[in-house]
Amino acid sequence: MMATKTELMQLPGTAPGRNGVEIRASLGGRGGFYRSYEVYQRQRVKESTYLINARVFLKPEFLRDPYPALKLMRENYPFYRDWVGNCDWVTLYNDVTSIFVDDANFETRAKAWFYGMPGFGRDLREELPVLWAFASGIDRHVVPIAEELIAGLKRAGAPDLATGVFDRLDTYLLAAVLGLPRDDWDTFARRYRAMMEGWHWHPSREQDGKDAIARLSTYFAPLLDARRAVPRDDLLSALASGELESGPATAEDVVATLLEGDGDTLRGSLINMWGLLLSNPEQLADIRGDPSLAKRAWQEGLRHTTPVLTAKRFARQEVERFGRLIPEGGLVVCSGASGNRDAAIFDDPDRFDVRRKDLCYREPRGQYRADGLPAGIAFGPGRPSRYPAVPEDRPRSLYAITRDAAVAVSNLILAELPGLGLAGAERPEPFCRWPGDLHLYRELPVTF
Amino acid sequence: MPTAIIERTDIPLMPIGEAYDMGRAPDGKPLFDPRIFDSREFARNPYPYYRILRDHYPVYHDKLHNCFYLTRYDDITTAYMDDEGFNTIPKGASNPVLGNTQLELSGVEHRRRRNLYGQHLVGNSLNARIPAIERLASEMIIRFSGSGADEMATENTAGRRTVELGKAFANEFPIRVVCQVLGFPEEAQDKFFYWYYSMMTGLGGSETARQGLEARQDLEDYVAGLVVERRANPTFLCDNDGNSMGEDIISKLSRTQIDGDWLSVEEVTSNIALIVGGGGETTRGAILNMWYLLLSHPEQFAAVRADPSLFQQAIHETLRHSSSIGGQPRHTSYDITMRGVTIPGGSLVNCVDFSANHDDRVFKEPERFDIFRDDLYTGKLIRNGYDAEGKHSHMAFGVGPHLCPGAWISLQESILGSEVLLKHLKNTRMNLDRMPKDINGVTLAPIGGGAIRELWIDFDA
Repeated sequence: MMATKTELMQLPGTAPGRNGVEIRASLGGRGGFYRSYEVYQRQRVKESTYLINARVFLKPEFLRDPYPALKLMRENYPFYRDWVGNCDWVTLYNDVTSIFVDDANFETRAKAWFYGMPGFGRDLREELPVLWAFASGIDRHVVPIAEELIAGLKRAGAPDLATGVFDRLDTYLLAAVLGLPRDDWDTFARRYRAMMEGWHWHPSREQDGKDAIARLSTYFAPLLDARRAVPRDDLLSALASGELESGPATAEDVVATLLEGDGDTLRGSLINMWGLLLSNPEQLADIRGDPSLAKRAWQEGLRHTTPVLTAKRFARQEVERFGRLIPEGGLVVCSGASGNRDAAIFDDPDRFDVRRKDLCYREPRGQYRADGLPAGIAFGPGRPSRYPAVPEDRPRSLYAITRDAAVAVSNLILAELPGLGLAGAERPEPFCRWPGDLHLYRELPVTF
Repeated sequence: MPTAIIERTDIPLMPIGEAYDMGRAPDGKPLFDPRIFDSREFARNPYPYYRILRDHYPVYHDKLHNCFYLTRYDDITTAYMDDEGFNTIPKGASNPVLGNTQLELSGVEHRRRRNLYGQHLVGNSLNARIPAIERLASEMIIRFSGSGADEMATENTAGRRTVELGKAFANEFPIRVVCQVLGFPEEAQDKFFYWYYSMMTGLGGSETARQGLEARQDLEDYVAGLVVERRANPTFLCDNDGNSMGEDIISKLSRTQIDGDWLSVEEVTSNIALIVGGGGETTRGAILNMWYLLLSHPEQFAAVRADPSLFQQAIHETLRHSSSIGGQPRHTSYDITMRGVTIPGGSLVNCVDFSANHDDRVFKEPERFDIFRDDLYTGKLIRNGYDAEGKHSHMAFGVGPHLCPGAWISLQESILGSEVLLKHLKNTRMNLDRMPKDINGVTLAPIGGGAIRELWIDFDA
C-alpha cells in the first residue's frame, strides 16, 4: 500500500498584525528549520496542581458558577497547565491583559477557522465605511427597536426581560442596521444565533451553524446585488459599495464580517447588567435616582458577571511568559471573567457595586488602565480592533458603540417600566448551557 | 419558549461494538461529540467511535481538547515516518512523571540517544539473555502452581486451583526482567515496585499526579547515589555461561557523555522511568490480553496448546486486536495539510494506534480475534513496518524512527512467559465467576482501551 503523501503547505512568511506590524506566521516561514532538542520543563513536586482537576471545566458546577474554580487557580496556579484541554489558563488580571495587548506574540484565530472553513469570506469590520454605517445605523435604530420590544413586553402575559427584550434586541438591531426587510428579521435572528453558537466544539451546534452560514450566504447574495444597483442608507449598501479598501463585499464577506463581529456582547452585557440590578434592588433604585449611573452599571455588570468567560489566544512563536515556555501554536486560555474578580485589582471583587471607586469608566483602548484605574475585561473572544486609539475623524469604536446602545436601552427601560422588579420568589442565576457558552442569566421574569 | 438548561453531559453506556447516536448531518454523515473521549463509555468501548472517525473524519479537529486525531493506518504511518513534520518534542512541559527522554526528542538528537541502551533489548544480547528470562518465569510460575504453592496467592477446591494471573505473574514478571537488564540493585527492588506503581498511577491525572511526582523524586534521590557509584564501578550483564555482555543499562547511562557532558541524574532517572514504564505495564497487558483472548476462543487456544510455536502469531494478533497503548502524540512543526484539513504548526496530533489496528482498509473484520488471519504480518519485527503480499504489520509498537525500542524484548517476554505458563498449568480455564463484569453484571468486562484489569484462571492443582 502506498503511504499517503503529506502535502506540506507553508503559510506565507508574514501575517499582518496590529498597526500593520509584520509578524512571522510559523516556523515554516523561517525556512523550514525545526528544533530537535527538548524543552526542559518537567513539572516538579511543588508545582503539581492537585487542588484542581482539569475535568471540572466541563462539569455542571463550573458552568453554573465558574468563580470558585477561577479563584482557586488565581490564588494557587496563576498559570495553570490543563492537560485535558491541552492549554494553559491565565487568570490574574495583569496576566490576562498583558496577553490581550500582546498581538505580536499571541494571535486570535478567526471563528471561521474553528468552523474548519479557513479563508471563508473577508472580515470587513475595520473598513471605515463599514464602521461608519454600523455606528450610525445603531444610533438610529436602537431606541425605536427597544421601544417596540418593551411595548411587546408590556402586553405579554408573563413578561421576561431576557427572552422578551434582550434576546431579540441585538439581532433585530443588526437586521435593521443591515437594512433587511422587516419580515426577514426573525429568520435572520435564528440563523445569526446558530452561527454565533456553532463555532465552538459542540457537534450539533456546529452543524446548525454551518447550515446557517450557508443559508445566510445564499440570502445575502441577491440583496447585495440590489444595493449595488440602488444604494440605501444601510450597512449592506456600505458593504456592497466600491468604497472599501479591499474591494466590494461578496455575500460570504458579509457573513464573515457578522461572524467575526462578536455582536453577542450587547445582548450578554445587557442581560447580565439587568440580572444583577434586579437581584440588587437597592442599586436599581439608586440608578433610578441618577440615570448617569446607567453607564457605570453596564461597566460594573460586565466586570462582575462577564458574559465571555474566556478568550483563546495562540502563541505565534515560542515565547517565555509567567516562568514557563509557551510553545509556538500553544493555546493560552485567558479568563477575563477571572481577571475581573482579581482581589489584587478590585476591592471586594465579588461585590456588585455600581458606585465602585476602583473601576475605570473610560474605554480600554489598547491598554487597560486610564486615570490609574483598571478597566473591566469585557472583550468578546474576537480579534481586537486595529484602531485602538481613535482620531477625531473616525467612527466610535465597537466598544463605544455597544456601550452607548446599552445605556440608551437601559435608560429607556428605566423610563418605560416604573416599579420594575423580579417576579416570583426565585432568584435567577447566570449559567452556561455547555462548555464554551456565554455565562448569562437566561430568564428574567419581571413585574412593573 | 423552552427553559434554557445546562445540557446533560452523561454519555450512555452502549453494547460493545456499537456507538451511541451523536446526531447526523443532513447528508447522513454522523456527528462526533468530543466529550466522548472523557467518558466511561469510551474507556470500555472505544472501537466503534474510532470507526466513525476513520470513515468520516480521518483528520479530526477536537476543539474541546485542542488537538487533532489521525485514525487511519496509512495516515498514522505517514506521520510516524515523517519525524520532521510530526515531531515528538514536548510542548510547553514534558510529562511530569516520566520526564524528558528520547521519546521526546526528534531528528538528530533522537538518533544520537536512541542507541544508548538499545543494544540490550535486541539481537544477540537479547538472545543471550533468553535463558535468564525463562528461568525467572519458571521461578515465578512454580511459586503459585507447583506443589509448594504459596497459599496466599491461590485457592484450592476439588483439585483445581484459582489465581489471578496478573497478581500471580504478569504484573511483576516484566518489571523484574527490566530490573535485570537495567542492573537495578536487588536490595532496592521492593522499594522500586512501590515507586513504579506510584509513578504509573501518577500518569493519570491531578489527584494522583502528586503521588507520582513524589515517587519520581524518591527514585531520583536513590538513583543519584547509584550514578556516582556506577560511574566509578560499572556493573555488567552476563549471559548464561557467565560471560560479560557489557555494562548494564544504568552503568551505561551513568558513564555516557554527550557533547562532553555526563547525562544528568535527572536524565538517567527519566530513562529508567521510561524503560520500566514502557516495559512494565505494556508487557503485562500483552500477556494478560493474549491469555484472555485465547481462553475466550477455546479452539484457538487448543491450537496453541498443540503447537506452542503459534504463540508468535497469537501475540501479534493480540497486539493488533487489543494493544496496551492507545497511540502516540506528535506536534506539527509547520502547517501540514492532510486529507483536506490544514493542521497549523505547533498543533498536538494524536496518532491512534488502536484505530490503525482496527482499520478495515488494512485488516479484514478487524474486531474479530483470529491468530490465523492472513492479512497480519507476524514475522521478524521491522522498523519501517511490513507491507507486502497483502500482509501488514500491526501498529502496537509504532513504525519509523520512534519504533518502540523494547518491542523485541517485550515480544520475547510475552512468548517465553506464556510457554512456561502453558507447560506448568494444565487444563486452564477462565474463572468466569470471578472475572470483572460489564455494566449489565452478566457479560465479562471488555478489554476496552488498554489492558484488562484482572484475569482469573483455574487449572489442575
